[in-house]
Amino acid sequence: MSQLTALWVLPLAGAAACALAGFSGRAAARACALAFSAAFLALALYALRPLLADGNALSVVGGEPGAFGVSYRLAADGLSLSLVALTAFLNLICVFASWRQEPSAGYWASFLALASALCGVFLARDLFVFYVFWEATLIPMFFIIGLWGSDNRRHAAVKFFLFTFAGSILMLLALLAIVVAHQRASGVWTWDLETLKGTDLGAAAPWAFLGLLLGFGVKIPMVPLHTWLPDAHTEAPAAGSVMLAGVMLKMGLYGLIRVALPLLPSVAAAWQPILGTLAGINAVYGALCAMAQTDLKRLIAYSSIAHLGFCLLGTFSGTTPGLTGAALQMINHGITTGALFLMVGFLYERAHKRGLDDFGGLAARAPRLAFFFGLSTLASIGLPGLNGFVGEFLCLSGSAQSPILFAGLPFFALLGAVGVTLAAAYALPAYQAVFWAPEGPGSVSARVDDLDARESAILWSLCALMVWIGLSPRVWLSLLEPSLRGLVR
Amino acid sequence: MNPFALPGPLLPQACLAAGVVGSLGLGLLGRPRPLLARALVVLAPFAALLALRGLALDLIGPLVALDLKSVGWQMVVYAAALPLAFCASGDDVEAALFLGAVLGMSLLAIAGNLPMLFVGLEFMSLPAYLLVARAGTGERSRRLEAAVKYFFAGALAGALFLLGLALFYAETRGLGASSAPLGVMGQAGVALMAAAALFKIGAVPLHWWLPDVYEAAAPEVAGFLSTSMKAAAVLFLVRVIQSAPNPAFASALPWLGAVTSLVGALYALRQRSLRRLLAYSSLSHAGLLILGVGAWAALGRDATALSAVLFYLAAYALMGNGVFAFVAATGLQTRDQLKGYASRRPGPAAAFLILLFALGGVPPTGGFVAKLLVFWQAVRAGLAGPVVLAALASLVSLGYYLGLARDMFFEEPEGAEPAEPSGAPRLVLLVCALSALALGAAPLLLNGLTGGLWK
Repeated sequence: MSQLTALWVLPLAGAAACALAGFSGRAAARACALAFSAAFLALALYALRPLLADGNALSVVGGEPGAFGVSYRLAADGLSLSLVALTAFLNLICVFASWRQEPSAGYWASFLALASALCGVFLARDLFVFYVFWEATLIPMFFIIGLWGSDNRRHAAVKFFLFTFAGSILMLLALLAIVVAHQRASGVWTWDLETLKGTDLGAAAPWAFLGLLLGFGVKIPMVPLHTWLPDAHTEAPAAGSVMLAGVMLKMGLYGLIRVALPLLPSVAAAWQPILGTLAGINAVYGALCAMAQTDLKRLIAYSSIAHLGFCLLGTFSGTTPGLTGAALQMINHGITTGALFLMVGFLYERAHKRGLDDFGGLAARAPRLAFFFGLSTLASIGLPGLNGFVGEFLCLSGSAQSPILFAGLPFFALLGAVGVTLAAAYALPAYQAVFWAPEGPGSVSARVDDLDARESAILWSLCALMVWIGLSPRVWLSLLEPSLRGLVR
Repeated sequence: MNPFALPGPLLPQACLAAGVVGSLGLGLLGRPRPLLARALVVLAPFAALLALRGLALDLIGPLVALDLKSVGWQMVVYAAALPLAFCASGDDVEAALFLGAVLGMSLLAIAGNLPMLFVGLEFMSLPAYLLVARAGTGERSRRLEAAVKYFFAGALAGALFLLGLALFYAETRGLGASSAPLGVMGQAGVALMAAAALFKIGAVPLHWWLPDVYEAAAPEVAGFLSTSMKAAAVLFLVRVIQSAPNPAFASALPWLGAVTSLVGALYALRQRSLRRLLAYSSLSHAGLLILGVGAWAALGRDATALSAVLFYLAAYALMGNGVFAFVAATGLQTRDQLKGYASRRPGPAAAFLILLFALGGVPPTGGFVAKLLVFWQAVRAGLAGPVVLAALASLVSLGYYLGLARDMFFEEPEGAEPAEPSGAPRLVLLVCALSALALGAAPLLLNGLTGGLWK
């Protein structure tokens, strides 16, 4: 079995093994989940190794086209493998974070199955295989939210599934239109991404692009397709929110970068003013909504919308810094927001509350938590020296090269700058309310013990990455940049 | 000399006819022989399925035409009938009725001209009415009522067909496929014959009989009607289209199919009765089949497009039989009884869940591949409007499939412990669920088996 195939088969085998281990008790299933998650991360990092030496290295698993023109084709460049590594890393973090809860075997199996499907999405180069993995991610997440979420989980699980399914069915129709157009022109049925590039759709091109944009946009999520996100992220268990925000939102951006822009570059170029405006709206609207929240988890959920808005600004700019910044910001957001969701989860485990008004003075009661939360918040609002700054700066500088001006200033970068300012306006007051404000009469801060060694270790690893990427982003940029060259206009 | 070679191309029909005669003969033995009846009911369709192997496609007479379609459809029809055969009660009359219906479908599949098609239609329908009335336990009056309703709907379909045939004959002076383009009277005739087929499939607005019949009939019988019988009805529609070079009604089929699919899904969304929900869900799938046939007609009767419909029928044979077998095995009546079912009976619940995802068209199941192929052919035919409408119907249908999954897995159980699922239907459920899952790998698996269906 090739290495790339092993990357998605290993976690899937882990899911099956966890389900089987569940018959001999929860502890066995948990140990099994840990073993497979660790092996998965080791394999993902091992696969990344040749790319670190040479950013242009590309390994491919290719199959002959079979029935219906479908071929099993995987390929790994820097973008794919960094996202696979992010998936594997966050998956292991999730295992550690849920360690104490001793959930049933199905929980671990769902996470590993999810990781497997996500890997498939990031590696597939045949659009049929891509779509199958894309949809397969929904099933484990449906159960993670619906079975292990909080009070309103049933509704949130169905809403999540229906929204994303609605988008992906439109995406499927768009892909079908492209495949059919290619067959008309060349007489060959194929779903291979490389072969389909340059297919001329004629008058149908804007419609196909719209289908892809809606399909990927629901996942990102682009305003106004975002309404599933606050529910899903708030109701999911903490580890589920980490995977949702950390990796699953990136599927949408990845789809844009990997599928929509290369297949229909002319439409993307023609629509740039609209797309850039939508991206700016995402950044500003997400931040405004986050400012209005009183629930800490919901606030972080809305902040994701804002952050993904920066990524979109970079992506649609069509410039090297913009695209690289968007790709880096995808990884940054996974690490930073993952850490924030985990800490809200730890708070909720202790106090069974997560409202901003329910706490106060936590800095004195739980100094370690306050430190990690503060660092992650600063990373999230883009403090120089931490990872968020690098990504956001590149995204903004990319969008500043756009020729569309507003009062003599680059319009999209202006929208982005408003978003950056607003980020500080929602994140810092929230931090202040929870950690520094005096304890109110209804405060439950007394229930909050500081982090234990396991929890601290998890957050140390995440915060170390934030600082590392922030201080020395070059390794990551040189890893990502070669995969994005083809998209630069 | 090989004795099985004697009836030649009609061997499958001979097997089924022998089964009918044999099960009627059981009544002469004086006392019930359930074991023999059961054996006959399973062996006859199974033998017919085996007899299809190696059939020569050259027997074209005035009455019988054996082409690729008739062989492909016979395979699906027999295979889709097997689940009901496995669940048979052992009653000799029911056995004869069931085998008679299958024989009727098989005659329809090899019909070489329009009157022969009518014979097949009536031959498969008459035993089906009686099967609905007779098979099953409890609530006999409801089954009788449903059977009468079914009969009247069927009689109306038969009458429409004969009227259409009369008009067709008046213009073409022939009972076979016409090679000359039809005029107004011929077009009306073909449209009426197609209406008969759409009646049988259950296209909106000719669907009013369907939910009542599927709800009142024994669940296994409903599974049989919604898969095997529906496959025969789809072939019936295909044959009617083939009877003329320019059937005008065919251009309306894609929209009709998409609307049927959407209406079925919207109705299913608000059902509380499990069987009625599944009946409307079957209606929704029938709409996609009609869309597929419409795409086939729009593409100049391209064989690829019809193979997509056949694949859909094969996949739906597993899914439809599987979900009705779940109802038969568990005896659940309403959605409320389904609440928390997974925590009490995880095995059947997991199998049902796979079938629900397959019905909803979620990868990696066979239901997804089936839906994809039909959408694909419709996109190929340039039917953008109907495809988007059908996609919307798929989305709506996911609303209740996920709703059932939510009831089963996420809700707390209430009420008494449900009964242990019973023997044969439980096995059918398991086999159908696993096969529906395995069919999802078809695009990759078929590669090695056939060297590519089309490239």
